[in-house]
Amino acid sequence: MDFSYTPQEEEFRAELRAWLKENLPPGWLEGNHKLPEDPKEEEAFLRAWQHKLADGHWAGVSWPKEYGGRGASLIEQVIYEEEMARVDAPPQVNAIGIGMIGPTIIALGTEEQKKRYVPKILNAEEVWCQGYSEPNAGSDLAALTTRATLEGDHWVVNGQKIWTSYAHLADRCFLLLRTKENPQNKHDGLTCLLVDMHQPGVEPRPIHQMNDHRDFNETFFNNAIVPKDEVLGEVNNGWYAAVVLLSFERVSVANVAFRLQQAYDGLLAYCKRHERNGRPLIQDPLVRNRLAGYHARVHAAKLNFYRNLTRQIKTGRPGPEGSMDKLYCSELLKELNGYAVSLQGAQGELWQDAEEEGKWQEEYLSSFAMTIAGGTSEIQKNIIAERMLGLPKDIKY
Amino acid sequence: MDFSLSDDQLMLQQNARQFFTAQRGTRPARKAMEGDVASTKALWKQMAELGYPAITIAEAFGGAGEGFLSLVPVLEEAGRVLAPGPLPETVGFAVPLLTRLGTQAQKQQYLQGIADGSEIVTLAFYESSCDAFAGQATVTAERTAAGFRLNGQKVLVPNADLATALIVLARTTAGPAGEGLSLFIVDPKASGVQMRLQRPMDQTRPLFAVSFEQTEVGEEALIGPLDEGWTAAEEALRTLAVSLSVLSVGAMDACVEQSAEYAKTRVQFGQPIGRFQAVKHRIVDMKVNLETARSLTYYAAWALEEGSSDRHVAAADAKSFTAQAFVRVANANIQNHGGMGFTWEAEPHLYAKRAKAWENYIGSPEAHLDYIAAAQGW
Repeated sequence: MDFSYTPQEEEFRAELRAWLKENLPPGWLEGNHKLPEDPKEEEAFLRAWQHKLADGHWAGVSWPKEYGGRGASLIEQVIYEEEMARVDAPPQVNAIGIGMIGPTIIALGTEEQKKRYVPKILNAEEVWCQGYSEPNAGSDLAALTTRATLEGDHWVVNGQKIWTSYAHLADRCFLLLRTKENPQNKHDGLTCLLVDMHQPGVEPRPIHQMNDHRDFNETFFNNAIVPKDEVLGEVNNGWYAAVVLLSFERVSVANVAFRLQQAYDGLLAYCKRHERNGRPLIQDPLVRNRLAGYHARVHAAKLNFYRNLTRQIKTGRPGPEGSMDKLYCSELLKELNGYAVSLQGAQGELWQDAEEEGKWQEEYLSSFAMTIAGGTSEIQKNIIAERMLGLPKDIKY
Repeated sequence: MDFSLSDDQLMLQQNARQFFTAQRGTRPARKAMEGDVASTKALWKQMAELGYPAITIAEAFGGAGEGFLSLVPVLEEAGRVLAPGPLPETVGFAVPLLTRLGTQAQKQQYLQGIADGSEIVTLAFYESSCDAFAGQATVTAERTAAGFRLNGQKVLVPNADLATALIVLARTTAGPAGEGLSLFIVDPKASGVQMRLQRPMDQTRPLFAVSFEQTEVGEEALIGPLDEGWTAAEEALRTLAVSLSVLSVGAMDACVEQSAEYAKTRVQFGQPIGRFQAVKHRIVDMKVNLETARSLTYYAAWALEEGSSDRHVAAADAKSFTAQAFVRVANANIQNHGGMGFTWEAEPHLYAKRAKAWENYIGSPEAHLDYIAAAQGW
């Protein structure tokens, strides 16, 4: 057991820190983390930031060097997530492209596809979205019904996707759909298509979320056209490609663990700064006790992650432990943000006019998605139960 | 960055698993419940032959000279079967305390004795007037020509009937809590020492009220500097808190295994009950509690071994979380077993009783949380 980093890993961290100091948007390190309010300006801001990251080779650190990445080890990827969380860096608009779709194309794509798509992902020249969930296929993804039929040299796509992050800005979509009449089972006859979003048959409609953001979309496909060879992997074997894609989601859990640490540090600072009944919140015995409890639980989130990471490094593959990290971190983050609002007492019901410009209300309202997106807590529990504890599979129809 | 046990540590774990399985799991614990001290003594002898109490004792005194982490696998396995005897008090408290502060003669007698199995040490710290674990003591140790004279009563002394030595916290100078206290190592057979069983919920660990009436001890009974016993004890108490956490992690592991096994085999409504999410997800919650406690505990063990600056906070993190998690996990285990769960014959109640016994032992969760807060300067 050893919790220290190698000199090479420390150097990686130092290099990233130095780069961030030099390149974060003006005022960012001083605490101004506001994105432009106008959607067009926000998009331009995010694309510019992504481009800058790519120029510094800090966009896809896990990617092979030949594709513009750094070939970073798992530990280095974790250091990367930790440092980005530490400065609360702006989001990567092409996070899905970089984190999952790019690596999947590199793994399963033809030479032609790799050449055409991969170079434009890191610098956000082409932003990608992921078309998986549907109104009636959420946790039960394979129940999806969007379909494509081959007509001559192209596919014709019809159906509806939902919760497609950033679809309204996306240039391309990694789309999972049905291509087979009379499949043997619901995992049979699925195919992954690489779809051009800029065409009349594709219409993203932003979803208005409870936090007043519009990051997710419903995406409608109405006779959308996709060239015949724009299939990733094999026709009718798309479930495999879909699963390969999800396997790249692994290190993103680190991001949540470190965000948790950030949230906790922020909460502490808040409790030192604000008074209730004539004394700083942190001196209230009840608050103190609760914060000390979070100290242990937040530290544990990182330790759990490191322990699972060690196992992953030793076995060479991700295991179901990732589900435990996801479950633990997202549930705790939700609780922590809820507590931050509770600490504001009656004033906590305010939003934009609450203390600290409603930062905690914003986090609180945003945290509800954490235990749902990327697999609900209940789905994570099923995975842990079935794959780690050997309990019987859920009743499936 | 490597968060795993070493190959040697894993081997030790396998060895310990085999040993405790050969003892038929909780059978020694059940023997202890019946008041069979000889059985616990025999178990201790076998553990000593395997070198378990000697792991962290220096080679000069017959030990293996390993760090605290090497104790983790053995304690975890002992915890799984609720092995009876004052193992945490001996290896988690007496050994680090004597290693740090013992005189050469004390080390030769006690460390050597612990290593060869002839010495079994327990802790006489609590008094009936203080239910919280604080540096208070009304038992007095007055100076005499030859050493000290002890008077007063300690309570909640684990396995006093089995122990060959008691470490007693006594007042040597008047003063507030935490000051003017000293540590003594006392033979329970010394004159004026009387013990009375205090019937506990967790009968696997018999507790005793131990009274001292004009008990004379020599100068050599004093451990560490006079009047600074509480400070001396504190560091070792952190090690004890982590040891208890490791044992608890082992016990929680057993609870998760029992629940999963039962949920796979018990059939109701035509299917194993583990298929019902109300049961299935509760077992996952147990598993998450277990693994989280394990992460905090292993880290604390590492911090102790390394002597890293956050080791006290890490110990408090581990103890506060694990103590509460153990109660949650052990209680849920009963619920998962339905009617069987609250019978004497089934295993779950043994674990639930141990969990409740250790929830507040060596500091309540709140006391440890308070320590974390104070250490952060809140």
